[in-house]
Amino acid sequence: MKRVAWIYHPDYLLHTPPFEHPESPERLVAITDHLGKTGLIDRMVPVTPEYPEDADILSVHDREYLNKLENACRRGDLTLDSEDTYLNRHSFNIALLSAGGAIAGAKAVAEGTADRAFCAIRPPGHHAGRDVGMGFCLLNNAAIAARYLQARHGVGKVLIVDWDVHHGNGTQNIFLEDPTVFYFSIHEHPTFLYPGTGRRWEIGKGKGEGATLNAPMAPGAGDAEYRTIFEQTLEPSVERFRPEIILVSAGFDAHRDDPLADLQVTEEGFRFMTRHVIALADRFCGGKVVSILEGGYETSSLTSCIEVHVRELLGE
Amino acid sequence: MFVARRMKKKVVTVNPSSSLFEAQARMRGQTVRQIPVVSEDGTLQGIVSDRDIRAAVLPAGLVPGFTAEAAEKFLKSTPVEQVMTRKVVTATLTDTLEDAIVLLHDFRVNALPVVDAAGKVAGIITRTDVLEAFIDALGVGEVSSRLEVVVPDRPGTLAQLAAIIGSFRVNITSVLSTRHVEPGMRANFFRVATLNIGPIRKAIEEEGFEILDPSKFLLP
Repeated sequence: MKRVAWIYHPDYLLHTPPFEHPESPERLVAITDHLGKTGLIDRMVPVTPEYPEDADILSVHDREYLNKLENACRRGDLTLDSEDTYLNRHSFNIALLSAGGAIAGAKAVAEGTADRAFCAIRPPGHHAGRDVGMGFCLLNNAAIAARYLQARHGVGKVLIVDWDVHHGNGTQNIFLEDPTVFYFSIHEHPTFLYPGTGRRWEIGKGKGEGATLNAPMAPGAGDAEYRTIFEQTLEPSVERFRPEIILVSAGFDAHRDDPLADLQVTEEGFRFMTRHVIALADRFCGGKVVSILEGGYETSSLTSCIEVHVRELLGE
Repeated sequence: MFVARRMKKKVVTVNPSSSLFEAQARMRGQTVRQIPVVSEDGTLQGIVSDRDIRAAVLPAGLVPGFTAEAAEKFLKSTPVEQVMTRKVVTATLTDTLEDAIVLLHDFRVNALPVVDAAGKVAGIITRTDVLEAFIDALGVGEVSSRLEVVVPDRPGTLAQLAAIIGSFRVNITSVLSTRHVEPGMRANFFRVATLNIGPIRKAIEEEGFEILDPSKFLLP
């Protein structure tokens, strides 16, 4: 059995919506309940996240944006720019702690206190750009973890595998011109789903050209189509890129029961993707995988998919 | 929306007496494939495309012993007015974008020189400019979700849908209403600036409208 770091903080529940909203604390309550009942939490290595240092956040986000976010929370604003992205008085701190969770997972794996990590954090991150929050996301947790690994652990090349059903426009933009962070996203086709980006010809810019890879999936696509993309599109790219660590932006909203999208992925699809990423990590990265929670809004499928995901990470 | 707003105002032109070589040189480096031919005072005389020029070289190229040097000599000694199209399909400054789209389509041309009342070239509008307008109108690339709703073809349904979407306090960034395959029905497309499309879909369905399921259209 592999040592899997379990990153969670009870304060993640303090970021609460002021109105009915799918990205609610109940998601994490359901996850911790389920992983507790199935005995999986006991088999992981608990890691308590800490508040990150400014430099780690500023490696991704602009100071002006952080000020704007902090001020909005202090003022008691209910939303940031749009109704999608809500705030309460705790949100700025909890967004920092969420990024701190991704950092804690990265740290545990980089330092070898764990082989792999699962970061049960919120708010999610992959829509957040350098100077903008959107799509339920305030700070880009995966991007911050990637930069942290490069700055503090001498990691050169990072692969981010984003299987949230929505395209991670924030992460893509942050690393668009960066050849050291390969961003792969598989998501529902942008014609049909938010945020409307992630078309197949978006492949990075300048020095980063070729280090972005998008696989838009037609509505109705499921396990078989996902498998084909992982085997025939992702794998050859990873063989060329040769990452030193893999971060997963692990959303579980491509599941057929999720109400926010139109795809048909099942638990078996998430099992396959997890195994495939682990196999790639074993080939190129000494097995280093850090999985970071993004979306997934239907409690029953969210918890069953995460159970499968964690079991695979544990190597049961 | 008028042509004047979407046209390119900086127009690459040549004189009728300029050589084909000169015309080619002016196209090169720019992303233009056809340039208006104008007299000294800017009055439109014709239009010449890279295709016209290639077509002019082709017969000479079939002669045995025709070399690159010979081709260049031919291009330098042939004036544009010999190969240009004299009957030019044009747009005027007061034409609308719809006029331009129909002209480009019906006359199967790639570009319309835009002329003022005096017949002088004031700009040029191409298929690319029209596609750009279409991309904007569809809201492609804007952060948004898409909804496709089939409604009975009667007054008030679009307003009803807009009111439902409005009740969720989200912006509509693009609207398109077209005929539907089913007679008596219309298809309405919306782009709305939210990730959280589920509740809006549900509310629309509860009002008795049909949300198009895109996956049904893909299957053979």
